[in-house]
Amino acid sequence: MRLELNIVSIKDVNFGANTAIKDGVLQINQRELQELLEEDKRLGRVEIELAHPGEKCRILQTSDVIEPRAKIGESGKNFPGALDQHGTVGMGPTCVLRGVSVVTIDDSERGDFYRDMNGEIIDMSGPGAELTIYGKTHNVAVLPFPADGVSLSDYRLALKVAGLKTAVYLAEAGKSLKPDAIEVYEIPPLMDIEKQRKDLPRVAYVFQLFAAQFGGITEDPVLYGGNVDKIVPTILHPNEVLDGALISPYRGKGIETYMIQNHPIIKKLYQRNGKDLHFAGVIITIAHNNEHENRRAATISANLAKWVLRTDGVILTKVFGGAPEMAIAQTAQRCEELGVKTVLAMWQQAADDSQEIDTLFSFQEVNAIVSMGILFEPISLPHMERIIGRPVPLSGGGSISDKIDRQLQWIKGAIGQLGTSRLMASRY
Amino acid sequence: MQTKPLRVVHYINQFFGGIGGEDKAYTKPQIKDGPIGPGKAVQQALGDRGEVVATVICGDNYFAERIEEVTAEVTELLIPYRPDALIAGPAFDAGRYGIACGALCKAVQSKLGIPSVTGMHEENPGVDMFKRHVYIVKGGSSAKGMVEAVSKMVSILWRLASDQKIGKPSEEGYFPRGILGNKTSERTSAERAISMLLAKMAGERFESEAILPKYDRVKPAPFIKDLSSAIIALVTDGGLVPKGNPDRIEVKEATRFGAYSIQGADGLKPENYEINHVGYDGSLVAQDPHRLVPVDVMRDLEKEGMIGKLYDTFYATTGVATSAENAKRMGQAIAARLKKERVSGVILTST
Repeated sequence: MRLELNIVSIKDVNFGANTAIKDGVLQINQRELQELLEEDKRLGRVEIELAHPGEKCRILQTSDVIEPRAKIGESGKNFPGALDQHGTVGMGPTCVLRGVSVVTIDDSERGDFYRDMNGEIIDMSGPGAELTIYGKTHNVAVLPFPADGVSLSDYRLALKVAGLKTAVYLAEAGKSLKPDAIEVYEIPPLMDIEKQRKDLPRVAYVFQLFAAQFGGITEDPVLYGGNVDKIVPTILHPNEVLDGALISPYRGKGIETYMIQNHPIIKKLYQRNGKDLHFAGVIITIAHNNEHENRRAATISANLAKWVLRTDGVILTKVFGGAPEMAIAQTAQRCEELGVKTVLAMWQQAADDSQEIDTLFSFQEVNAIVSMGILFEPISLPHMERIIGRPVPLSGGGSISDKIDRQLQWIKGAIGQLGTSRLMASRY
Repeated sequence: MQTKPLRVVHYINQFFGGIGGEDKAYTKPQIKDGPIGPGKAVQQALGDRGEVVATVICGDNYFAERIEEVTAEVTELLIPYRPDALIAGPAFDAGRYGIACGALCKAVQSKLGIPSVTGMHEENPGVDMFKRHVYIVKGGSSAKGMVEAVSKMVSILWRLASDQKIGKPSEEGYFPRGILGNKTSERTSAERAISMLLAKMAGERFESEAILPKYDRVKPAPFIKDLSSAIIALVTDGGLVPKGNPDRIEVKEATRFGAYSIQGADGLKPENYEINHVGYDGSLVAQDPHRLVPVDVMRDLEKEGMIGKLYDTFYATTGVATSAENAKRMGQAIAARLKKERVSGVILTST
């Protein structure tokens, strides 16, 4: 499976008469894009706004972030199952607009008891922008409102589709251009790996991509357009992950679609492939809401790693909060019991000052943990002149556009669960 | 960056202040201009970066017997000197002196907003009481290590006052404060994960970035011999509370729990309760609270005579991101009350 990402670098984005790219500037026909998105009967009005790096702008209630991409050639399919019909993914050329992000805004975030009512924000300048890639890309913000009588779940589903449609619509404009760079992703089929260098260890990545901790939305099209709330662990080729077979689950905290498309761990494993290790594949799994199913998933994942992929070691990551931490730790523990070495990389949800506790679990076999930092740490953000999204007054008074202190978890991309961040927890 | 010389006040006890030993331990706080006793070492370490403008002396017993009041009293004494920083001790292994140093440092930080540093021997009780709030430099048990301790203390104090970075506890010689924060690594977590795995697979040394907790082992209570005469209670951390959350239990990181009467009730009516918990989807419990707190089934068992009695009150808190310290405290408090009421068994339901 050979994937070619044709990278078109975008240095500016503006609205204009037609959607086209010239000299690295993406021009968008705002009306045409709006009409495309408003074709979805679940949506009423759709607003499109642009936000640029360096601007004193704060985007509120962000839901997902997607890198604009479009498959090149007849057989290639974009986000198959979720958007296009099923077909080729993970193979052949894909046009990528680098330097641009599509940001979907969930208007139903406002007033949600479980959440901060202004949601996960993106600042386009200042310290908040420094912490996240999404503060450094030109952002096309898509803010759809629900049509009358549409259920919350249907609205949220339509919101996801609107984001994917926008990403493809924009990247279509780059398909015929000569790319600025081409990234090639290719690993040999499993059978052929050992014909190369036998002395290198075989490594897989265990990707927990969903947790049944909260309700989610029905028919969330996460894996080839299907929901994943009951899947058993299975194996994917890393190129499928990078090329649109997987999208972020609704409120996939710390795993935006953009990060899945540019998965930091998969990319790094590719860089080391054939030099320090053989990259044997990706095992996807989920966290259930009960002990029995978590044990079952842990057993299946570990068996796939040990007896199907025949790995020497795996890297594991998690999604959401504390319950999924237990589930992924059980998976790591089972791998270790089978002799597969593990490194678990995660943010420290359970870290606790009061008793110097770093993790929820205490499985002594799970002895190699990489810290992705503390998500509750606040940082101070400056006043912003422009707001995208509908602001909710702060509980202590004042406006979200003011100078505010905000925990990292409410800044989109500041602290992720897929390996992009340089933050790590420390005790001092 | 601090450019003007620092105005430093130094705190010492009656012994180091030259007033006397145990017989003078009730000496009231007094403040004098300039450095006294160990203050001379402080002044020397400061050099031209600052000046010890005053020294507070107080008797160990006077302070230790009324910590809060005396802390306030001493803090007031400092104000006219407009200090930029406070240095206390070092107190070596003198317990009362250590507690006074820690309490005063903590107070001036919050009340006057100025940095402070003290120093102690690791067995001084002041270390555990104040290390989370105050930089306490690790020192010897006697005045022999004075100069070294003071030099470390002054070095940290100077940097606190001039907004400079303080290194790790092991580099700087202070007791770890246990405070969690983020630092920035040179490499992304993806890069570190792969390097750690390669080292682990090769059998090389690696250092985990998180340490597993060692939980207390609780010895299970003996079996209930006769269930048919036993009082059984229901306790949950799933956040079920009466409508309006009368005890104002937090939706996460709970510090409180509630006790709610079910006396005479056959069951829990959904309209009377709500879910106060942000760690799970509470909609199914909101439909039927018995899914979390099974009063209905317990009443059946009571009627059948399988259990003696369902205890008249259920206890509830919110178990999400709750610190281990608070969880332990609440658990002990609930257990104590149940024991007093002769409850012999508990069904704990979690989410």
